[in-house]
Amino acid sequence: MKQSTLILLALLVLPVLLLAMPQQEKETAYSLPAGVEGKGTVTFWHAMSGSRGKVVETLAANFNAEFPAIKVDAVYSGSYAETVTKGLAAVKAGTPPVLLQSYEVGTQTMIDSGAIIPVFNLNRGEVDMNDVVAPIKLYYSVEGKMYSMPFNSSTAMMYYNKDLFRKAGFNPEKPPTTFQEIYDSGKKMVDTGIAQGGLSFGWPGWIFEQMHAYHDQLYANNDNGRGDKRASKVLFNTDFSVKVLEEWQKWSRDGVLFYGGREYKANAPFIAGQFGMLMQSTSSLAGAIRDSNFDLGTAFLPRMPGYPKGNSVIGGGSLFLMKGHSDEVNAAAWKFMQFLFRPENAITWHKGTGYFPVNYKAFNELDKQGWFKEDPRFRTAFDQILSGSTTPAGTGVLLGNFVQIRDIVQTAIEEVVVNMEDPKATLDATKAKCDQVLADYLSTVE
Amino acid sequence: MQITFKGHRWLPYLLLSPSVIVVFIFFIIPSAESLFYSFYRLNITGTRKIFVGVNNFVRLFQDPEYIDSLVLTFFFTVSVVLLGLGISLAIATVANKRLRLFNLYRTLLIWPYALSPAITGIIWALMFDPAIGLLTNVLNRLFGITFTYINNSTHAVIFITITAVWKMLGYNIIFFLAGLQGLPKETVEAGIIDGAGKWRIFWKITYPLISPTTFFLLVMNTLYSFFQLFGLLHVATGGGPGRATYLLVYKLYRDGFISMNTGYASAQSIILLVFVSLLMLVQFKLAEKKVFYGT
Repeated sequence: MKQSTLILLALLVLPVLLLAMPQQEKETAYSLPAGVEGKGTVTFWHAMSGSRGKVVETLAANFNAEFPAIKVDAVYSGSYAETVTKGLAAVKAGTPPVLLQSYEVGTQTMIDSGAIIPVFNLNRGEVDMNDVVAPIKLYYSVEGKMYSMPFNSSTAMMYYNKDLFRKAGFNPEKPPTTFQEIYDSGKKMVDTGIAQGGLSFGWPGWIFEQMHAYHDQLYANNDNGRGDKRASKVLFNTDFSVKVLEEWQKWSRDGVLFYGGREYKANAPFIAGQFGMLMQSTSSLAGAIRDSNFDLGTAFLPRMPGYPKGNSVIGGGSLFLMKGHSDEVNAAAWKFMQFLFRPENAITWHKGTGYFPVNYKAFNELDKQGWFKEDPRFRTAFDQILSGSTTPAGTGVLLGNFVQIRDIVQTAIEEVVVNMEDPKATLDATKAKCDQVLADYLSTVE
Repeated sequence: MQITFKGHRWLPYLLLSPSVIVVFIFFIIPSAESLFYSFYRLNITGTRKIFVGVNNFVRLFQDPEYIDSLVLTFFFTVSVVLLGLGISLAIATVANKRLRLFNLYRTLLIWPYALSPAITGIIWALMFDPAIGLLTNVLNRLFGITFTYINNSTHAVIFITITAVWKMLGYNIIFFLAGLQGLPKETVEAGIIDGAGKWRIFWKITYPLISPTTFFLLVMNTLYSFFQLFGLLHVATGGGPGRATYLLVYKLYRDGFISMNTGYASAQSIILLVFVSLLMLVQFKLAEKKVFYGT
């Protein structure tokens, strides 16, 4: 009996001891050797589901046809958060993909992970980063450098159902522009019974971030994490932040806000005509036009008067090249990134999804084709981001372990708008929790 | 009589080794790893470790989110087990009669169990979809109830409970049916002769006689509601709205795999292991007194 207990203990302790042995770390700056021909398989993990995923597959197939020596293998890997965490888990396991699409939230984490080859180490002038649309370039620049390749960039805008607006007696060409107007028009739709709610939004945490940037309010210290140091404290328990949640809570209490869930969950009821307005990513535009059988309008995000003008933040994702592959494969992946950047492909992407055309060349080409005249809705978000300011607050926040912080904030928003918790108290508690996350994060990277 | 094989001192170990190896690789090593990591804070790729002692555990019990989740999981488990066993025992008792197409019913009843929790979640999420859900519309038209599990916490809890109970229903019914069919007819007949009513026969004879089955199902259902609802939560509510359906397994997943707090999540898994072991211990202790295994 004694002996068997000892053996069991030994069995338990042995793996622990093995694990405790120090592992070697090696760090070398990589640069792609000149003259390497790209070939091999480029596994590309992305988070583009539904119609977005189909366009990714089309682009990959076109690329494979053009470069027979390379095979881009585009794999849908779940939601954004899942794709990033799966990618990092694969790094841990020693089998990283070649290209990983990380959403904007993962940017700082990916850069700090030590598992990527920065794009600026690959670029020998094949891609003119100055051609990247300014707010997108600003968003993805860290210390002035591009670590990843901007691919699918979006921002939030407002969609509205013009048919419901007509029914409610509003001018369908004059969508609400302020919080108060949102409330008033939503209230009327609910009170007259023409809709179950006035407004909803997707990505609640992101919309909350948008509101800060849009009113030029910092979300975190050290210039939103874009200063000389990483962000160590979040700043979203200010009067402004509390005001935003108080407004949302009021909307929710009076039935104006129809909380529709996270990510793209609110799209279906909006398309079914259950409420009149939706704050959502521009990337839903092509799908919404296709699926809705009402007159769909697009507009700028609403503002609260009395605050300075910032900008709506770039969302979406960018492509990271992961370490651990041969020069040939790295060169192949870089070829694919260049391919995606080419105006004609950026245009295919924009038309198929609603994401921004990533560079000015593509934008000008679309303009020449008369695309924006034909359907000005594809231009709304563009006008919105180009009319904003370029302050750090307006550019958007960079945070370590932003994946978790976004998650915590989304939960807090649900506590406020669904469970009617007190906005100020909730935000104070949330800030404390997020500051702890940042402190933990910094303790492991610095 | 004891049989001994002389000169085969190592044979038993050899014969045991496959299962020992499997247990070692899939249970002991991962558990030991969790135990190890629960004393560390790791960076996202696991290349840097900082020893934090029992800090992860201390934080865990100071985290109101964890305590809430623990309480929620407890109440949730109790309701799923009670409702699940109650309903399935009732159905099994009714089904334990000579019905036409009996075999067909029985096969149909086991179907839900064959579905993965994620598929179950998708089916029920569709049925209760606030916009296009069949049941939502029925509830709305017939009773004027607006059922929206996405923006109402109470509805979310009800929704998850119904779905979780439904998923295990077939499994429970099959076991209860087997238990009921194995009952000795004589005992029931003796009861009838003594003039006991149906209700009395059920509580005084049937129920004690199937107690081994009930106990087995109690254990299985408890484990089920503790560990196996991840898929369901993940596709249906994502733990929300707010933290309305934030069960322990889901918190563990979020902390471990979304937030990448390997150390913190490892500590949670250790606690969960201890907790469930204790629960099982209590259940088995109680079972010794209450469960009647026949003479």
